[in-house]
Amino acid sequence: MTDYDVVVVGGGVIGVSVAYGLARSGQKTAVFDEGDIAFRAARGNFGLIWVQGKGAGCPEYAAWTRRSADSWKEFNRELKSLSGIDIGYHRPGGLDLCLSSKEMSARTRLISRLIDESDGQFQGTMLSQEVTAERLPGIGPSVLGASFSPMDGHVNPLLLLRALHTAFQVKGGELRIETVVDISYEKSIFEVTTTKGRTSAKKIVLAAGLGNQNLAPKVGLNVPVRPERGQILVTERLKPFLRYPTSLIRQTEEGSVLLGDSHEEVGFDDGTNPHVMANIAQRARSIFPHLEKARIVRAWGALRILAADGLPIYDQSSTCPGAFTASSHSGITLAAAHAQDFSKYVAEGALPSQLEALSERRFHVH
Amino acid sequence: MRDPIDIIVIGTGPAGMAASQVAAKQGAKTLVLDEQSSPGGQIFRAIEANENPKRDELGESYYKGSQLTRTFRNSNIHYLPDTSVWQLSKDRELSYSRNGAAQTVTAKQVIIATGAQERPMPVSGWTLPGVMTIGAAQILLKTSNTGIKDAIFVGSGPLFYLAVHQYMAAGIPVKAAIDLTPKINYLRAIPHLPGAWSGLSHLIEGWRWKREIVKSEIPLISGVKNIRITGEDAATGIEYLKNEKWTRLDGQHILLHQGIVPNINISLAAGCDGHWNEKQACWAIEVDSWFQSSIPGIFVAGDGASIRGGTAAELCGRIAALGALAQIGKITDKERNRLAKPYRHKLSTELKIRPFLDTLFKPADNFRIPKQDDIVVCRCEEITVAQIREAVKSGCVGPNQLKSFSRCGMGPCQGRFCGLTVTELIADILNKPVNDVGYYRLRPPIKPLLLQELANLNSDAEK
Repeated sequence: MTDYDVVVVGGGVIGVSVAYGLARSGQKTAVFDEGDIAFRAARGNFGLIWVQGKGAGCPEYAAWTRRSADSWKEFNRELKSLSGIDIGYHRPGGLDLCLSSKEMSARTRLISRLIDESDGQFQGTMLSQEVTAERLPGIGPSVLGASFSPMDGHVNPLLLLRALHTAFQVKGGELRIETVVDISYEKSIFEVTTTKGRTSAKKIVLAAGLGNQNLAPKVGLNVPVRPERGQILVTERLKPFLRYPTSLIRQTEEGSVLLGDSHEEVGFDDGTNPHVMANIAQRARSIFPHLEKARIVRAWGALRILAADGLPIYDQSSTCPGAFTASSHSGITLAAAHAQDFSKYVAEGALPSQLEALSERRFHVH
Repeated sequence: MRDPIDIIVIGTGPAGMAASQVAAKQGAKTLVLDEQSSPGGQIFRAIEANENPKRDELGESYYKGSQLTRTFRNSNIHYLPDTSVWQLSKDRELSYSRNGAAQTVTAKQVIIATGAQERPMPVSGWTLPGVMTIGAAQILLKTSNTGIKDAIFVGSGPLFYLAVHQYMAAGIPVKAAIDLTPKINYLRAIPHLPGAWSGLSHLIEGWRWKREIVKSEIPLISGVKNIRITGEDAATGIEYLKNEKWTRLDGQHILLHQGIVPNINISLAAGCDGHWNEKQACWAIEVDSWFQSSIPGIFVAGDGASIRGGTAAELCGRIAALGALAQIGKITDKERNRLAKPYRHKLSTELKIRPFLDTLFKPADNFRIPKQDDIVVCRCEEITVAQIREAVKSGCVGPNQLKSFSRCGMGPCQGRFCGLTVTELIADILNKPVNDVGYYRLRPPIKPLLLQELANLNSDAEK
């Protein structure tokens, strides 16, 4: 007898999505989460459910992303009925704006490649400067055009996290605020040592973000990820002016405008830097000149969890059967797939062949 | 400002003015940044405008700032009023906005002298229009020479008596003064009285204010255990619990105050270590004997580190400046120690009254840790006690998780109005020490700024 069927390490959006799916299917599940201060990518998220641009050269990832985005409508409905929380999900389609002709031609190539590689399953198109301006009133002349995909959407990521936590607990899952310090495996049972004690489980899912790196070897896995910092600015609440989410700017239901983002290799520093913030503000102003009069009320830095090729890592342990891991910086987009599909694979005990392309083995030299 | 700056001082209250003049006197290139348009901070606000003629109603303690302000003006410093500091990094790079433009400067040493703010007072109805803080009412008196007529003053602490006294002396009618000092505090404070003798002048001053209020026609109601402000769209009155009985007073203006607490936002955002001060029931910044924080080269002097009062703040500012000067070789350590000696002596005398005052004026638990479900804790996002309780039950073990889950503390005030309440409330619910619960992780911009100011930051810096 074990304490739990499954222990999930990590109370971020990936961990709780998987855990919610497990609890919903009747698995006795616990989530171990750290205390008040931790590297929490899920708290620093921009909130896009984004399909376009992802998975060029890796059709399996592109398909996994589309599958999640297409499941989001039902997933949203389910979360709302269980948690009572409206998480602000919308799927009006999204735009990725091009600020130079070079960007415009690169994007055109990318979109047609994604359509080709998906056998037409991916829907996306290029918009001219005029059409972009029609869809996004107030846009500045430096925006030369955009790619558009009707498959894109957005959500309030913090409300999503809260709704997942609530739904998980409604379904009988247990949230435990304990930091995992060790995991051992013997006779098909995982023993998890935390700062508060020991717990046993038949299966374990490592969804600890950057923490996966250190935990994975304890169960015969390898998760080569690194932190990449992104900074985001938030304006005061403004009258709704942006009907579509874009890859760099989106307006929330409450009216705040999120301005992204940066890509910095600064190790485990999740702070902010005024000069990087200034660059983000400059670019936002060139996209929407009227934003220059908006007040910036908040900013933050957060660490993306990236593998060398930027794709997620899903794996199962061959030496410790029952140990799984999920690492990705697209936890919001993939939340539906993690809750509905990945949790099912964990419950059944094996990952399907279509996720083989996202295994850590892809990094092994052939 | 092309030469490197030796010392930046943030704030021009007693600590900031004292620190900057000591720094300048020793030949340090000193830059002083302050939010207000004239020096004085909160305690000496608008002092220059109130010099000729002097206004008796503001009291003797206010005019103690005259000399300090004059010396500050005559010092060789670069003083930027109307300046909002919105970022300070560990390596002492500071960003500020002034006249619609943002700038970045770096200094060898930084002295944070941002003073105190009023402690939030989350009671039933405190967010209704018509309810203000006593501090705000005092600002009106100092800057506009007007006041709020027929207000009901409610609260505790030295400023409570001072403000009522000032209003009385200015001839502005006061409807009533409700003194919330818990009766038990008088008993608890007695053992600290012998130590407080050296601060006799402060005590006499306080007793004089109180005695004159008692002698006046203003009803002074004490021994009050609880209050609630009534009204639907605006305050219509206040009900207070005294001798197990609720009594109602009609009034459209309710002024609240329950002491002051350090303004810690810049220090914490820079990364200075802080700790919970149980005696004062507030966060304090860790400083060494020169008021240097856990970050080398960043000092926190005056009430911004922990509440010591205006006179002590001035002395702390002087000592901090000497500490900073020695670190950049403007004076030797020996000179620093010699120059600091008289200030340290005065400071230790000045601090003897603190245990007495801290004990006497520690607000009652129920005014700091609200129990009633519908009381709003976070004004910006309108988060109630019940919502916080629920979030804590669902797994939020600290203010940062709470912020993510409920938006509590996410508004433009950056937790200034709710931070203390939130930590004490979580600690109370989880039955944990407040220090273990912790505080909001503060991030720049500490003060909101226009996107265009930020966008121009890098290009302006190159000019």
